[in-house]
Amino acid sequence: MSIAELEAADVALEVGGGGGLWSEAWSRLRRNPGALAGFALVGAFAAVAIFAPLIAPHDPRDQNLALVGISCCPGPSAHHLLGVDPLGRDELSRIIFGARFSLLIGVVAVTVGLSFGLLLGAVAGYLGGVVDSLVMRLMDIMLAIPGLLLAIGIVAMLGPGLFQIMVAVGVANVPIFARLLRGSILAQREADYVLAARSVGVKRRVILVSHVLPNSISPVIVQGTLALATAIIDVAGLGFLGLGPQDPATPEWGTMLTDTDRYLQSAPYLAIVPGVAIILSVLGFNLIGDGLREALDPKLRGRA
Amino acid sequence: MLRFVVRRLLLLVPILIGISLLIFGWIRALPGSPAESLLGEHSTPQAVASIRHQYGLDKPIYVQYWDYVQTLAHGNLGTSITTQRTITYEIGHRFPATFELALAAMLFSILVGVPIGFFAAKRYGSAFDHLSLVGSLIGISIPIFFLGLILKWAFAVKLGWLPSIGREDVLAERPHPTNLFILDALLNGDPGALWDAIKHLMLPAIALGSIPLAVVARITRAAVLDVQNEDYVRTARAKGVPPLIVDSRHVLRNALLPVSTVIGLQTGLLLSGAVLTETIFAWPGIGSWLKDAIFNRDYPVLQGGILFVAVVFVLVNLLVDLSYALINPRIRYSR
Repeated sequence: MSIAELEAADVALEVGGGGGLWSEAWSRLRRNPGALAGFALVGAFAAVAIFAPLIAPHDPRDQNLALVGISCCPGPSAHHLLGVDPLGRDELSRIIFGARFSLLIGVVAVTVGLSFGLLLGAVAGYLGGVVDSLVMRLMDIMLAIPGLLLAIGIVAMLGPGLFQIMVAVGVANVPIFARLLRGSILAQREADYVLAARSVGVKRRVILVSHVLPNSISPVIVQGTLALATAIIDVAGLGFLGLGPQDPATPEWGTMLTDTDRYLQSAPYLAIVPGVAIILSVLGFNLIGDGLREALDPKLRGRA
Repeated sequence: MLRFVVRRLLLLVPILIGISLLIFGWIRALPGSPAESLLGEHSTPQAVASIRHQYGLDKPIYVQYWDYVQTLAHGNLGTSITTQRTITYEIGHRFPATFELALAAMLFSILVGVPIGFFAAKRYGSAFDHLSLVGSLIGISIPIFFLGLILKWAFAVKLGWLPSIGREDVLAERPHPTNLFILDALLNGDPGALWDAIKHLMLPAIALGSIPLAVVARITRAAVLDVQNEDYVRTARAKGVPPLIVDSRHVLRNALLPVSTVIGLQTGLLLSGAVLTETIFAWPGIGSWLKDAIFNRDYPVLQGGILFVAVVFVLVNLLVDLSYALINPRIRYSR
């Protein structure tokens, strides 16, 4: 989402429409080495996910129990660059295919959280009154249960599985986005341009969608990018607890970490490889989120 | 101030009712019947019916909720289906473990994070500053359970310095009047037990404290940078106050205000993280208990345990708000 919009902003810049929030943000972002590193990490991560079948040296589901000794798995070798897991499956190929799941997980979880959160936040913030109180009290109640516990609770209700943990993490994100957008809209609602639009007879719905929302959205985009990072961690955590995909052949990074402590003595790389993959992808989104926050900060505008 | 406290306490009531409704409704939506999971392979329709009757599961749903609220009001959270012990007993036994762990993690993050943030800001733009920023970004990007595994591998498996599971030596038979093992060791005057408890606490506390550490360091750095340019700091310097006093009395004390809020907000994260950390280090606290309850479909434990955690979380946030109003004269007695 943010990348697409940034590209759009870039096009606008080339056409010569400079001076807007997005073109300014983009020009600041381009000079931020951290954000560039983030884009590089996320780009590489997306490329690996998309081209997984071409890059992976082996089928991630291919078992070869003949490779596995009594004390578990042979380590890295020329044939298996990152070694094999306790079922003799190629670790590198599993990590490469796992990138698909992590990307999917992040995007789905944040989309769920973002869309419901935005809807509730926008309605509460714009309508105010009883609706606002009702929605926000419900959000307060959800926020009173620590995020991961809420997600665990939802998984317990839906049953374990990849799709279920994505939804659970998404729902746990709803109150965060709802609060953020509501606060942002409350600040915009009283702005002069809203009064102007209302006085010339623009409908409330049109004011909300085409005036208030675009102006309230930048903190949401920053939060959305950072939420992608947290979502990947949280989903991996649920997978680690055994609530993830129930088909053990699914190469989900968090699930791959489950039970690895049994092999810490003989095959520590089984824990290290998926862990590093998670850290790098999460770091990428965190770097972009931080860069965006600085680039979109209205206090820093005009200093590009 | 009193009015502020009373108002905040009254605001708790609807939240608590909401939480109890949410948890009650959610428990009923869980798949699988607890009676069957309790009886396992030996379940017969008669046995299931008698268990359902024993736990009141055959009554209408609103009666079940009303019964639930009434027993709650008596301070009775029910009985665990798997262990047959009361939830209050289990919480009394397990919460001190989680409390000790969370407190140690918090102390670790503050004692390490505040100095890092402070010196990074004092040497703004230096190599140390850049290192601290990169470090804190990596810190918030590491999944707790992965850090836990790595710590276990390095310090328990490879180096053999620290134990990797539990709260004390498995063979130890020591009295635990408070269930806070460090406090117990001090009360008993037993230095061996104290060292044993600290050794067991170190790895889980570092794993759990890593994210708060990164956040505390970042916020401290930003706050010190902010405060450093305030007029009162310049005034203090101009009138010749020694740099050490300016730093401690004028800069750090004011910079710690935003830090204290963040510490409060991290409590939820600690309670969440406890589920993962306690699972990795076999720490017998609330987190590992709730995790097991999900797999055992132990409804009363989930109901009581999550309610308890939510109440603790709400109360901690209240305390943070109150202490913030207390230490910051500018926002005291918010209307």
